[in-house]
Amino acid sequence: MPDFSLSPEQESLRDLARKFARTEMAPHAAECDKNARFPEEIYRKAFDLGLMNLNVPAEYGGSGLGVFDQCLIVEELAYACGGMTTSVIANCLALEPILLGGSPEQKQRFLAPFCAEYQFASFCLTEPSSGSDAGGLRTRARRDGDHYVLDGEKCFITNGPHASLYTVFATIDPALKHKGITAFVVPRSTPGVAPGKDEDKMGHRASSTSTVRFDQVRVPVADRLGAEGDGFSIAMRTLDQTRTPIGALATGIAQAALDHAAGYSLKRQTFGKPIAEHQAIQIKLANMAQAVHAARLLTWHAAWKIDHGSKGTLESSIAKCFASDAALHVADEAIQTFGGYGYMKEYPVEKLLRDAKLTQIYEGANEIQRTVIARELLRAYA
Amino acid sequence: MEIAVCVKPVPESETRLRVAPDGRTLDPEGVKFVLGGYDESAVEQALLLKETVPGSTVHVLTCGPSPRAEEVLRASIALGCDRATWVEATAPLAADPVRAAVAIAAVLRSAPPGLVLCGKQAGDDEAGLFAGALGELLGVPDLGYVVDLRWDATTQRFRFQRVTEAGLERWEAPLPVVIGLQQAWNDPRTAKLPNILKSRKAPIAKFPADPAASTSQSVPEKFELPAPRNGARMIEYKTPQEAAQTLVRILREEAKVFP
Amino acid sequence: MTVLVVGETVDGHLVAATRETVSVARSLAGGPGGVVGFAAGAHARAGAGEFGRLGISRVLVAEEGRLDRAPVAATAHAVALAADAAGADTVLVGGTTFGRDLVGRLSVRWKAAVSSGVTEATRVEGGIRVRRPVFGGRATETRRLTGPHFALALRPHAFPIPEETPGTPQIDTIPPANLPETLFAPQRTALEGASAGQGPSLGDASIVVSGGRGVRTAEDFRLVEELAASLDAAVGASRAVTDAGWRPASLQVGQTGRSVSPQLYIAVGISGAIQHLVGMVSSRVIVAINSDSSAPIFRVADYGIVGDLFQIVPALTAEIRRARAT
Repeated sequence: MPDFSLSPEQESLRDLARKFARTEMAPHAAECDKNARFPEEIYRKAFDLGLMNLNVPAEYGGSGLGVFDQCLIVEELAYACGGMTTSVIANCLALEPILLGGSPEQKQRFLAPFCAEYQFASFCLTEPSSGSDAGGLRTRARRDGDHYVLDGEKCFITNGPHASLYTVFATIDPALKHKGITAFVVPRSTPGVAPGKDEDKMGHRASSTSTVRFDQVRVPVADRLGAEGDGFSIAMRTLDQTRTPIGALATGIAQAALDHAAGYSLKRQTFGKPIAEHQAIQIKLANMAQAVHAARLLTWHAAWKIDHGSKGTLESSIAKCFASDAALHVADEAIQTFGGYGYMKEYPVEKLLRDAKLTQIYEGANEIQRTVIARELLRAYA
Repeated sequence: MEIAVCVKPVPESETRLRVAPDGRTLDPEGVKFVLGGYDESAVEQALLLKETVPGSTVHVLTCGPSPRAEEVLRASIALGCDRATWVEATAPLAADPVRAAVAIAAVLRSAPPGLVLCGKQAGDDEAGLFAGALGELLGVPDLGYVVDLRWDATTQRFRFQRVTEAGLERWEAPLPVVIGLQQAWNDPRTAKLPNILKSRKAPIAKFPADPAASTSQSVPEKFELPAPRNGARMIEYKTPQEAAQTLVRILREEAKVFP
Repeated sequence: MTVLVVGETVDGHLVAATRETVSVARSLAGGPGGVVGFAAGAHARAGAGEFGRLGISRVLVAEEGRLDRAPVAATAHAVALAADAAGADTVLVGGTTFGRDLVGRLSVRWKAAVSSGVTEATRVEGGIRVRRPVFGGRATETRRLTGPHFALALRPHAFPIPEETPGTPQIDTIPPANLPETLFAPQRTALEGASAGQGPSLGDASIVVSGGRGVRTAEDFRLVEELAASLDAAVGASRAVTDAGWRPASLQVGQTGRSVSPQLYIAVGISGAIQHLVGMVSSRVIVAINSDSSAPIFRVADYGIVGDLFQIVPALTAEIRRARAT
């Protein structure tokens, strides 16, 4: 990856995302955060511009972008609002299992009509008693003739109440542990599918999160992705694809925090001069800038590797883990730079901290990322 | 209707302005050139007319150097323009609106369109001279500061308004005509991602600028940024009337802003 | 060298932008003797008379009434003929919508070196040097124009209007040109004057007067509006004013509102918080009126008045009205 410049096409994609983020998302970010409002009108515009379903190939009506190009877009969107970005890219997460585990017939049947309309899909893996321990999930899939009957409860599902399609991971036999996990595509209209109410969250409040109950839901065998027992692998390979864009999302939040802090430091005066001229602030800003630059480059490198055929597990885990930790720290320091004003909701920085926090938790908690990094790393020394 | 839209690559509005080493122009280093706001309105108007007048095509043209000229053409294609022409010219030449008009007129003369649309002025030099020069070169009247442009198919005329110092003027004009559009009275569309990707591969017709037309009568000598402010000069006064008189005098004589 | 000043008339009177060109015309002509006026349309003679009172002793007129309702392209033909008839090497016009378009046409019609929005113009070896704002007033460029012909549209509000003195000019008629009929194909069908109380828009205005929290009440904000009206200025407001609902959000100047860079920005009762400053700090001249001498606005203003705005602003409005009337 010796050439770090973006192609004109990549610049166009980034500019599109930036313009959308600054003109459509940013003006409503504070209000949606305050009221926990899911801004359908903004998401619809994102869909109209081709900013949803980024990972789905063009032949099925998606934008067909590689991970790097997705990251360029995701960072720009997250700069304006982390929560809205989470909901916009949740389709990518939900549809990736179909891309990875679906047959050509399933891809055509599910993806083409889905991408043709403005709608949401949700990735259903996490349960009340299994998040990091995905292999320990308990939603059952019992075979019954040419159907499976799904029963269980998923939680913390992004876009849960709004989705028209769910990719659901259930086990055909808990005793098999992760080898029993199987992936299914479940339309919302299937009887027994019951999304819960919107959770009241610390951040990402423009995004909608809920439980989704599957109560004796009958799923045709034809809607199973891959074979029985393939589900865990599909889930893990899905997260391999979506982990890096979360690094980009965190980078976007961190960049916004840095920009706010730096801009403020040039205007706010104490002891007769702008606070940017005090060393305490300079050192703070320098550390923040290092973190943002590093987060972006780690994300870019991971994305580049994946686009060039590598599994990229080590790089994407490092990127996600570093960028999310960086976002939290940079947002925290941005609040500190603003002093008392940073603590007030009237100013935009405290939201950034609340939004940054989630990036350390979802799409693979950073504790898990670290065990993955250690495992991948130590392999080289074995 | 054959519609031609003339656009100019201009520095994006957030650009931090810097003086070039020779002191004569803006330092283009690191500057991103884009389709400016006025031109976006012109392209939008062209596309709206294409959508309402059956059988219309939109031809976007620009005069300028690589890569900025090509980029604004691709941006226009991504928005929906049917074909694009690039008259290749150096930055100084393209910066002279009269030279740019000469270059564009040379292309349009061979197949004159019914309507030529431009932005009211360029986002950088704000000269507002291009449409007049182009109209004169093509032997076609031009109207600037236009809003609410509508085509009346029954009378085969445009109906529009112009916002001028005198107020609001209502006009009618048949083809051929050059129209300079006021900014943002229409709501320029945003190019969709799939069209952005497609525009990268669209063909662009390329012409060299006629060297005979290449001598500009307007040469930049200096480009200056305002000096940073040092704090206000406070006006002393005994009565409010005296303060007012002093201020008005200062504005006229010192600041040369004449209320 | 002779300079032709093109007059723009409204209701038979020369507009302010035309009057503002006279001092520059004199300086470029090397004295009042070298300035010739031009007026076109149905009110050409009335306009010519006013030129006389501005010290211009010869005016060429093209009296075809239909020029008033035709595109400027038609008038440009007449201007070129008049400039040649007067032996002028330079055409000057106020930089209104009319003037800028005229200059654009003259660049080809009269093969003139052109510039618009000009704030300074001086003769130099082989040409004319002009200065003009660019990038929304955030920078200034100086250009050298080489002739033999020049056509300049001067920036409105940038030059003084000379005192009127009695005088009657010699008026000569330009014979009607054989203007191509295509130039008359577009027709103006109606002219609606700017509605009362509707000043220029914030984005275009040469002068902006903004009010802040110091104005105290929604009713008292009219002081700001009266000052703006006396200057034909656009009205702006700080966020405190729009948040309080005293005026619509479309008037807000600042980080979350509009960015403006007029020739003159007058901040009334505005403290100068960062959010406001970023919206107006690139204005060419900033005047601040505030009762608090340590208000941050005074750091970015060029001129400041510390005092009670309820006394200062009405006095300023009155003084401006008086100064403009003379």
